[in-house]
Amino acid sequence: MGELDRVGLALWTMQSTAAGPGLHRTLYRRFGEDAQLADRLGFAAVWIGEHRVWYDGWCPAPLHALAYVAGLTERIHLGTAMYLVPQHDADGAARTLAQLDELSGGRLELGAGLGYRDPEFDALGLQRNQRGKLMDANLDAIEAAWAGAGGEQPPTKRPAPRIWMGGMAPQAIARAARRGYGLLLPQTLSLDEVRRIVESYREQGGAAPVGMLREIWVGEGGERHARRVSLHLTEEAGSWWAMKDSFGFAAPEQIAKQVARGVSGIATGEADAVAERLRDTLDAGVDHLAVRFAFEFVEQAALHDQIHRLAEDVVPLLAGAGA
Amino acid sequence: MRFLLDPIGLATLAALTDAATAARESGLDGIYLTESAALPSPLIAAAALAGRVEDVLVAAEITLGDRHPLEVAEEAAVTDLALDGRLILVARPATDDLSRFAEALDIVRLACAPRPFRFEGNHWQVPANLPENEWLPEEQVRLMPGPPLPRLELWTAGAAARPLAIERGLGHLIGADDDPGAGLAQLTKASELAPRARREQLTDPLALVERLREGREWGQDWAVVSAPASAAPDLGSIVRPRVQMHKLSPGLEAFWDTERPWAQ
Repeated sequence: MGELDRVGLALWTMQSTAAGPGLHRTLYRRFGEDAQLADRLGFAAVWIGEHRVWYDGWCPAPLHALAYVAGLTERIHLGTAMYLVPQHDADGAARTLAQLDELSGGRLELGAGLGYRDPEFDALGLQRNQRGKLMDANLDAIEAAWAGAGGEQPPTKRPAPRIWMGGMAPQAIARAARRGYGLLLPQTLSLDEVRRIVESYREQGGAAPVGMLREIWVGEGGERHARRVSLHLTEEAGSWWAMKDSFGFAAPEQIAKQVARGVSGIATGEADAVAERLRDTLDAGVDHLAVRFAFEFVEQAALHDQIHRLAEDVVPLLAGAGA
Repeated sequence: MRFLLDPIGLATLAALTDAATAARESGLDGIYLTESAALPSPLIAAAALAGRVEDVLVAAEITLGDRHPLEVAEEAAVTDLALDGRLILVARPATDDLSRFAEALDIVRLACAPRPFRFEGNHWQVPANLPENEWLPEEQVRLMPGPPLPRLELWTAGAAARPLAIERGLGHLIGADDDPGAGLAQLTKASELAPRARREQLTDPLALVERLREGREWGQDWAVVSAPASAAPDLGSIVRPRVQMHKLSPGLEAFWDTERPWAQ
């Protein structure tokens, strides 16, 4: 098994923002090109996110974007980080997921997230506070459809696609362990937190792989990248995040704290320094690294340069970590 | 007359790619994917074909009126972006409740226009303005991203949907055995140029030519032909050239029949 087998690339979002504007038809075509490069180099997966009804056009239909990539690639796995399960119709999701897994030759990795933006739930006529119940009900329906419940033929003859539970809340960890899913952890966790979560997941019987998003930037430009990530996160938090008793930009100090925490997790520097941080993550019990440097403000040439550096300079240095 | 090949029964990516390529190589306009047990999500299949076959239109026939239409519109927009504007979304009523289908159709249409919208129907309200969703309440929503072209090409299918299509100026597909006269003959100004398609079988190419000429009488301008990929050359060389013009030069068809230039 090569080291690339446990490294995927994250996170395509298809955003067109003030900081990084792009025509959406271009962004989708480039996603295909990016994934083809990752496929050629031997990465394990590409991961795409989901949000809806926002000015930047964040991809609201990640499975359809992945279907496009499936048609252009041979072996790379196609992951959602995250597919917002409570926001989808269960029967439609079961059909869509089965079709994608079938057409891609069993390459689907379903990262399942709750979603948190009230306007997304409201646009679809759903209550955000019902999202936990919807998550379980929809996953039940999806799994039943995959298993061929109700006397119907299973929509796919393959083993059911792997499911990864997104998040870090105790409920998410318990749900993953209970349902036999993997975990897909956010990039904001400290190594101690990662160790504690993995331990708790394993104690509860969780046996599937644990993945984690990790942000890096290899070589020159790390500081600038971190500064731009900071602005990216500030825009996102300011527009979207509900704090204890205020919302978004109305709580600048809380936003600054969250953003600083997010940015502190970015591993920058030369290949050996970046590899060291990734080795620590693997040593903390993580099985799959979803490595992120793809943001809407990173130009495609720079993105492809980072993909090459990661594959050729960083990943070979991960050998033996997490053993 | 324009042609879409429906390679019924094909469900693997390789087979669908071959069918779409065959359609293109024979000068047909595209392929038509129908929802079935073997092909549970034609939109996923359409997106998967997007990067594999250039130029051809890809029509995806889905059911509309059961799940939330905003979700359907989002999937269509992303698929159309992957296809760079080559998608035809064909909506068939999911249930007998035509009022649900009509609302869903209107939500998809509103959502695909580049402006925020609000929809208040009997089945759906968008946004719902549920009191439990406390943060950032909205009066209107905007589908983002929208489809790549100024409009999403939206058709309906099924006899029940016909009056709705005519009212809204949408394209419409009728079944092979449906009576085209009912409704289509009384087109409103809004829909006189909307695509009018019929499902066709291919048994004998010249029999299909006769049928399409008859179809032109009621305004048929698209043929969705259920046939294997191997039928594409006959459609491209024997059928398509004979039904484009109101009439052909005297002797041309006899020349084609005698010389069969496509087979030389």
